[in-house]
Amino acid sequence: MTGWGKLRAHFDWPLGICMVVLVTVGLANLYSATATTTLTLVRQQLGWLVLGFGVFLVTATLDYRLFYRLAYPLYGAGLLALLLVLLVGKSVNASQRWLELFGFAIQPSEPMKVLLILALAKYLHDDPTVEERTLRHVLIPFLLVLAPVVLVLRQPDLGTALLILLLFVSIMLLTKLRLRAVLTLLLAVIAASPLIWSYVLRDYQKRRIYTFLDPSSDPGGSGWHSRQSILAVGSGGWTGKGYLQGTQNRLHFLPERWTDFPFAVWAEEWGFLGSVALLAVYVVLVLLAVRLASQARDRFGAVLCVGVAALLFWHTVFSIGMVTGTIPVVGVTLPFVSYGGSSMMTTMCATGLLMNASVRRSSY
Amino acid sequence: MATPVNIPELQRRYAYLVVFVLLVFGLLIGRLWQLQVARGAAYRAAAADNYLQERTIAAARGAIFDRAGRLLVGVRPSFDVYAAPRFVDEPALERFLRELRLDPERARAVRRRVAAARATRRNQRLLLVRDIDRDQLAQLEMLKPELPAFDAVAVAQRHYLHGAVAAHLLGYMSEVTAEDLAHDARGRFQAGQLVGRYGVERLYEDQLRGVTGVERVVVDAHGRRRHESWAAALLGGQPRRVAPRAGNTLVLTIDLELQRRVERALRRYASGAAVVLEVETGRVLATASYPAFDANLLTGRLTPQQARELLDDPGRPLLDKVFRENYFPGSVFKVVTAIAAVEDGIASWDEHATCKGWHAFGRRVFRCSHTHGKVDLHRALAESCNVYFYLLAERVGLDRLARYARLFGLGATTGVGLNGEVGGFIPTKAWYAQRGRPFRLGFTLNAAIGQGSVKVTPIQVAALYAALANGGRLYAPQIVERIETPAGETLQPFQPRLRRGIQLRPETLQRLRAALVAVVEDPKGTGHESRIEGLSVAGKTGTAQVIRRGFATMRSLEDHSWFAAYAPVEAPQIAVVVLIENGGQAAKVAAPVAMEIVRSYFAPAVAAPGSTTAPPPRAGRGAGRKP
Repeated sequence: MTGWGKLRAHFDWPLGICMVVLVTVGLANLYSATATTTLTLVRQQLGWLVLGFGVFLVTATLDYRLFYRLAYPLYGAGLLALLLVLLVGKSVNASQRWLELFGFAIQPSEPMKVLLILALAKYLHDDPTVEERTLRHVLIPFLLVLAPVVLVLRQPDLGTALLILLLFVSIMLLTKLRLRAVLTLLLAVIAASPLIWSYVLRDYQKRRIYTFLDPSSDPGGSGWHSRQSILAVGSGGWTGKGYLQGTQNRLHFLPERWTDFPFAVWAEEWGFLGSVALLAVYVVLVLLAVRLASQARDRFGAVLCVGVAALLFWHTVFSIGMVTGTIPVVGVTLPFVSYGGSSMMTTMCATGLLMNASVRRSSY
Repeated sequence: MATPVNIPELQRRYAYLVVFVLLVFGLLIGRLWQLQVARGAAYRAAAADNYLQERTIAAARGAIFDRAGRLLVGVRPSFDVYAAPRFVDEPALERFLRELRLDPERARAVRRRVAAARATRRNQRLLLVRDIDRDQLAQLEMLKPELPAFDAVAVAQRHYLHGAVAAHLLGYMSEVTAEDLAHDARGRFQAGQLVGRYGVERLYEDQLRGVTGVERVVVDAHGRRRHESWAAALLGGQPRRVAPRAGNTLVLTIDLELQRRVERALRRYASGAAVVLEVETGRVLATASYPAFDANLLTGRLTPQQARELLDDPGRPLLDKVFRENYFPGSVFKVVTAIAAVEDGIASWDEHATCKGWHAFGRRVFRCSHTHGKVDLHRALAESCNVYFYLLAERVGLDRLARYARLFGLGATTGVGLNGEVGGFIPTKAWYAQRGRPFRLGFTLNAAIGQGSVKVTPIQVAALYAALANGGRLYAPQIVERIETPAGETLQPFQPRLRRGIQLRPETLQRLRAALVAVVEDPKGTGHESRIEGLSVAGKTGTAQVIRRGFATMRSLEDHSWFAAYAPVEAPQIAVVVLIENGGQAAKVAAPVAMEIVRSYFAPAVAAPGSTTAPPPRAGRGAGRKP
């Protein structure tokens, strides 16, 4: 059977429905967030969606083994793109995250997450060590992760770097580590944190952390975004103010309404009930991914699915956590809902991989 | 490529993953519950606070007219700059201050104001700069797209049409202070508002101010007002606009033309005061304290530098010398001594004494201005012989003197309430006893000629001479004729207020008046040099020592120069009091000034060449009144 035929025969409907629901919510939400200014963003996002759906179909139908074989070259290409960002990238808001390509601005750190998942999957698949990994066994995967993390931190993009590290941790936790290794790593992180504070974090990032710990310290400056976002979410109440009725949204009190804070727009207009409903879809999606991992026939597939689950999970948790003032402000997109081509492509690609794994699971 | 996977081992870990995922999402839902359900109402109110803005609409302050309907204080169009502190971040504020080219002092004040309001009144539009000029307005309009939060609002700026004329009576305004706001239990003031600080602006603040209106609007995060219907719907059932109510109009008793002439007459000397009362009513026709200030300058835009200059001016321009300062009356007080002596029958008009130019009392020598020779009470008043009054004082006694002085309103405020009116002082034996100084008869001698511890204000002297002119009716001076609604209907007319009618024996009154006429008409009278041909004036000079001569350590100051008068003698209309600070000889200084004022009242065109023909002083209102 061709990939296309397999997909038609074994289409994973729950996964597909989750995707369609989230994409629809995202479009409606984007329209609400931009209706007072311009419809250009909605039109662009529709374009990204069409393109993204194409990417989804390709990744869902391509032969699984192709990804396995190309994992390292793809990873290398991703690293190269990150390097190019630092050399010739475009600066927006004092950080250099974008590459101009064919008139499009793309953010290589987004697809890098998927490429890293693939590389880790391949490495763990090939690693003959079955269980009880020690620090020595973790070293190479760690180096695989460290390279993009360092490059992303140079941009600087703390949120993405943190996400990549969490992807790594999530994946490695699935493979059994010796307790001693875990404890050593933990100690290393604690020991390194003062160094990270002094040498890695920029002033504005430290300020965000201070502001998060004490929002009243700077109500006009970096606490403002967080405060306005919490106001938007909180003022939604039980059932929300109604679609297109959010005052924080429409009167522009919400910052970055379509990229980093779309959930605030949603929560304000749809309230607690709408927010929980949306969260539920994400939970279903993540749990579907975890189940697919558990049903995978090989380690590559298992790690891939866990990686995608972690990707969706952490993105969602960070994005919503930030919007609700639960964690400090870091710019992280909400999968399917945030505006942006790179994010949409990455999410679609990741979902395509899930679908691929799902189809393959039932086709043997 | 299939490699065997340790399935059971992984399965347990998948279960952990599921638990972990559910736990974290559970926490997020808990957080959402906390924000949206538990605290939802509070956040909803806070979100409304974001977009609801209350803009105050200033009430038109009441105008002030003179008795003839000439506008004294009105408003002129101007522009103030407002912004809600929430929308004014540092870069925007810097830009704004730079583009408007505000001087550093004003810029600092603006910064302070914004910083103070950020914490508490973030949504209320705050007055940043008052009364910007045309260039600044143009600049601001040009920058509107970049600085949307700054609004130039057309307002009516208080305008004193005649500059410094009647400055102390009209007063000025300044911004409410934090202290005012703290004590403002009735919520009368808003931050940034101007309130009357001086003169009738202060005294009638509650009448003039009106009631501030309010407009509720929906603004976006940039402080722009949103007019769309969905935005307007956010206002809900609240009233969108409460119109302001204009303040009431004051019609003063002064006459602008007379006031101008009084001030012109005063300008000859460095500092002084003059007041003109209507004898039959106690209405103040003119009141001037010189030097004065420009109320337009003081109202709202006085820089600290200018304030210092005003405060350091030796002529004390901020002091209302008619109401607010105590002076030795000197010889203008002698009428009181004379009345005290003859009314109670202690002395008679025809008793003579001989003035040798001095009077020895105890170990001290009390001096007279001249050697007057043989004088009676009439001549002693007309020629202002101190010796005669020293002798009289020994018999009258301090307490009797004090009683008559108080009867005529000396030593107590007249009740106008203007500019923190002071009461002056009339000493008694009891007062000296209280202070622990043994009473000596010498105090009485000094008091009898208006020195020692006797202190009065020019307005008290004017009320006293008006009472002598009208036969003993002591009126409370009146500065406001009536209060009108903005539409011009009389709201409250003020009738002359008689404080007391003083019953003097006809002979006392008649001979006292004759003596005061002699001051001017008699060739030997102290005011003779300044007499007006064809107009009979009664008056009294006073040359009050400021610091006793001979105090070597203190700089000897020139005497204060007084003249108190009323005219015409046959049917008195006005009482005039002039005080020239450190002017010297009354006959040479205060008397000519007073006479010029009297002359200008009765013959305006003659006294003020070049000025337009003034309406008759008692003409009704109408001509100069704005519709």
